[in-house]
Amino acid sequence: MSWFGSGILTGLRITMRNMLRGPITVQYPHERLEIPERARWAVEMKPDEDGNHKCTGCLACEKACPDFIIKIDVTTAEDRSKHIDHWHYELGACMMCGLCVEACPFDAIRMGHDYELARTDVSELQYDLLTDVAAVQPKRKAAVERPGAERQAPTDASQAPTDASRAATDALEAETRSPEGSEQS
Amino acid sequence: MNIYLVALLRILAALGLMLLNGVVLIYMLRKVLGYLHVRLGPMELGPHGMFQTLADVLKLLTKEDPTPTHVDRALYFLAPGIVFVPSLMAYAAIPFTGTWVIADLDLGLLYTFAIMSLLPLGLVAAGWSSANKWSLIGGMRSVAQQVSYEVPLLMAALSPVMIAGSLNLADIARAQSAVWFWLPCLPAFLLFMIAGLVEANQTPFDMSEAESELVAGFATEYASMKFGLLFLSEFSNTFIFSSLLVTLFLGGWQVPFVPVDAMGGWAAVVFLIKVYLVIFVLMWIRGTLPRVRIDQLLAMGWKVLLPASIVWVMLTGAAVKLWPMVFGGVR
Repeated sequence: MSWFGSGILTGLRITMRNMLRGPITVQYPHERLEIPERARWAVEMKPDEDGNHKCTGCLACEKACPDFIIKIDVTTAEDRSKHIDHWHYELGACMMCGLCVEACPFDAIRMGHDYELARTDVSELQYDLLTDVAAVQPKRKAAVERPGAERQAPTDASQAPTDASRAATDALEAETRSPEGSEQS
Repeated sequence: MNIYLVALLRILAALGLMLLNGVVLIYMLRKVLGYLHVRLGPMELGPHGMFQTLADVLKLLTKEDPTPTHVDRALYFLAPGIVFVPSLMAYAAIPFTGTWVIADLDLGLLYTFAIMSLLPLGLVAAGWSSANKWSLIGGMRSVAQQVSYEVPLLMAALSPVMIAGSLNLADIARAQSAVWFWLPCLPAFLLFMIAGLVEANQTPFDMSEAESELVAGFATEYASMKFGLLFLSEFSNTFIFSSLLVTLFLGGWQVPFVPVDAMGGWAAVVFLIKVYLVIFVLMWIRGTLPRVRIDQLLAMGWKVLLPASIVWVMLTGAAVKLWPMVFGGVR
């Protein structure tokens, strides 16, 4: 049973408690919150340790994109090495689903953490992530060195690194050997 | 010194106080409401947004001032003045200390209430002349509520007057050297507080400009400095109401256990601190309670506050007469 006017006092107490709690505002342009590690904003190239791109021009991301906004212009040379003329990405239509990142077999792209993507002009939403660069020659993955695999076939596992290094030099050869590699892993 | 010069200087002092108070109160309102809402309030301009109000004043001064087509032009231009002038005049009788008062009037309380009761006239003029349904409803509401609550307000103010035996605000404050009147007159204090919230158009009862219903009430069609005047008078009314509350119930410039002679000029500072504390409480209430409906407001005024204040006036009158009889010639 509450007496008359107690609701008003309760309200006043609550607001005073809020006042003493202090503001929780993050003053955005001056302060920023930590972004979660798996936050997804615009697609960007994921560089390797040396800062080079890892795109092989395989077009898996282009095929995976539900919005058809990734467009990679690839020129294939006679030796079957690829050259990326444009890696076109239209931010304005991107829904940041991340399917391209999942589709990429070479871990070459990622969802970036830059969230200040507003532009004053629509044309600035057309990104060219890579322009006129050579595509990376796809390296065959070495057999994954699991303890169990080592016990079963120690010779294969020891050969695997040399296989991989040779595969790096010759993409064609690597392709022919790929079924073997998958069997090993 | 020339008597007219002195009078002019005093008027200028009142005007300066009023404008400064407006600037301070706008900043204070934003900050207090912000912190009550777990926000920051203005932060960008100057340290902790201190110059935000100055920027807003500049904005109001330089803003385009369009006049709507169908307004009643004479009243439309006159109304901000009618609202502004009484709230400036009401500063005259407020005693900042025993000697610091713009005009030491024997009927100071009566004068202040008389002047403040002119305000609804300006508000209804603003509401009527704007030729806008929101403005009109806002103006009518302001008259309805201010007329209804004027009576309990005056009745509540009567008990300190009866105890002090004077209508001079400084005398009433001086009479509280033993005990501040809010304690013996607690019901009157509460009645005065509620009725004053209505008179000062503070949020639980700001029916005349209820933003969610009436856009901005009587001020809807006003822009630029005309709007500025209307709002300046609003803030100034808050100050006047708070200083009346401090003078009538909270001991004016006095501090317990400190003799008035020892305070000197600090008495005015004490008075201002008290006034701003009361204003803080008003803002606290504003940040807490939702707005009532107009019919609830009027029903409370006529059915609760008015009878309660009459009963309390009778009780105080009897007590003031009986006290010397029972305890023998205290006053």
